[in-house]
Amino acid sequence: MKLLRGIPASPGLALGPALTVRSAPPVDPNEQREADAPAETARLEQAIKQAIALLERLKSTASGPLAEILAAQREMLDDPEMKQGAIELIAGGSSAAAAITQVANSYAGELARLDDPYLAARSEDVREAGRRIVAELRGSRQTITLDQPGILVARDLSPAELAGLDPRFLLAIVSETGSASGHLAIVAQGLDIPAVVGVAGALDEIETQQTLIVDGERGTITLDPGEAERARVEQRLREVENGRRALEVYRDRPGLTADNVWIEVFANIGSLAEARKAVEMGAEGVGLFRTELLASQGLPSEEVQYQVYEEIASLLRSPLIVRTFDIGGDKPVPGLDIPAEANPFLGWRGLRLSLDRPEELFLPQIRALLRASLAHDVRILLPMVSTPEEVEAALALIDRARRDLESAGHSLRHVPLGIMVETPAAALTLDRFTGLIDFASIGTNDLVQYTYAVDRTNPRVRERARPLGIAVLRLIDAACRTGIPIAVCGQLAADPAAIPLLVGLGVRELSVPPARVSSVKQFLSTMTLAEMQQRAREALERS
Amino acid sequence: METTVERTVTLGSKSGLHARPAAIFVQHAKSYQSQITLVKDEKTANGKSILSVLALGAEQGDRVLLKISGSDAETALNKLVRLLEGDLG
Repeated sequence: MKLLRGIPASPGLALGPALTVRSAPPVDPNEQREADAPAETARLEQAIKQAIALLERLKSTASGPLAEILAAQREMLDDPEMKQGAIELIAGGSSAAAAITQVANSYAGELARLDDPYLAARSEDVREAGRRIVAELRGSRQTITLDQPGILVARDLSPAELAGLDPRFLLAIVSETGSASGHLAIVAQGLDIPAVVGVAGALDEIETQQTLIVDGERGTITLDPGEAERARVEQRLREVENGRRALEVYRDRPGLTADNVWIEVFANIGSLAEARKAVEMGAEGVGLFRTELLASQGLPSEEVQYQVYEEIASLLRSPLIVRTFDIGGDKPVPGLDIPAEANPFLGWRGLRLSLDRPEELFLPQIRALLRASLAHDVRILLPMVSTPEEVEAALALIDRARRDLESAGHSLRHVPLGIMVETPAAALTLDRFTGLIDFASIGTNDLVQYTYAVDRTNPRVRERARPLGIAVLRLIDAACRTGIPIAVCGQLAADPAAIPLLVGLGVRELSVPPARVSSVKQFLSTMTLAEMQQRAREALERS
Repeated sequence: METTVERTVTLGSKSGLHARPAAIFVQHAKSYQSQITLVKDEKTANGKSILSVLALGAEQGDRVLLKISGSDAETALNKLVRLLEGDLG
């Protein structure tokens, strides 16, 4: 029994035989042709035709973003400039494989140099198109076929290679390259298949048909597991399957306590993919959209933001609570100049940064949100607030954006405004925000960190924080007593130990990771409100 | 009859000329006999080549010069201008 480690890329557990995919040897770019130029050119043209025919077949069964990638790749195979470039190299003596590889690499390099990160990412598609043509030339076409359940082990897998696989037989994916946010991770998560990427030496260690256990949560692969280990995993897989079936009934129900008090169960998201998952899992809305994730490649324009908010809101058809950029010294944004700070958690971040740089950060985002609110239930959530004055300043800017849009002929309705309660200052004085805000959402991770003065990224002190300690509970209690509707969107919201206390104190909305929506609804249904209130009272007295 | 026509177009597609809109544009361009060229800033692209269209790096709101010469240049211009100005998806 041997254990390999990699990067967890898609959660889940799998047990089954390995199917290893070994890549073809690379093409020597200086390889010379053996045939004369016209014959070599004819071989190239034939290979291109075959590669197109193969991709057409793959494309016919694909859908969504994968179908789009394949459509673009099909056009690349058929590209007249690429073909002409290769024909010229063949005339100069190159083999067809060397010629097409050189031309594809040169276009890939050109795309990789563009400013646009999306287009730069397409350079891998161009290389892939070149490899497909080479595979046809060599007659070693690499179609992976899974005709029985198996765990795919490869150096790398392209979206096209994945498209050809039957997801019913694909138990898990292991790759030697890749990152937690790469192509492979996204496709695997979309298919709900466990994946571990970046496993160095996987192909040297693993043989086809060898039995593997893949744990997509921990990022581990167990080779030749023993009897006991196999039995344990089989048992867990059965439990997961039973659990999934049992939770299905909660998907289309609202969150209700045992005595039918409605506690809304919302989802936390950071992308369109997570919004889809939220809908699929039966979330009653989105309680926290972390927009700073849109800025990982640089600050998105108002127009780009508007398109994203519009697309997600139309998909949800339920409330979409959007948190304005929670950017700070610890979350650098390419192209945005934020000085490094000694204490970024106590520094220039969240709303503080937005208020100080309104033209760059706050106003474009607010305009995009107000525009999206014309057709949808969009609400605004401000991060890192400590005083009512900050909210007044934000409201003045929101009014300015509103007047701009109204003078352009839009008639806007009231867009609910809320604040994150992350600082003890906001929790203790939430009553002073009455009239300024419509709701508040407690970010328990930060509130715990600021209350106990414990940096959660510091392993030496991390354990000293008490997420359900009396200090935090008193703050939540104070917030709930203001009468302002209170939501919780931190990790505690999905924690069965915390839910009765939160709801008992008066929280009426829980915003949790999409995958936890059903289990939170299920948990709510096991207790009455009075029981939860009793638990909350005991906890306030005891701790 | 060989004619050359050209027009400057503002890109309407929300993702500019990313993979999908570029693929749609190129498929249409290929259905004409005429030679089709796109010019943005100092870069020139063969309108029938997705790789050269992608390499323009064109975004929504960018102004692009569309040059077409050949026997069906007029028809092609009308169709392709409408595509570029509209939302290619």
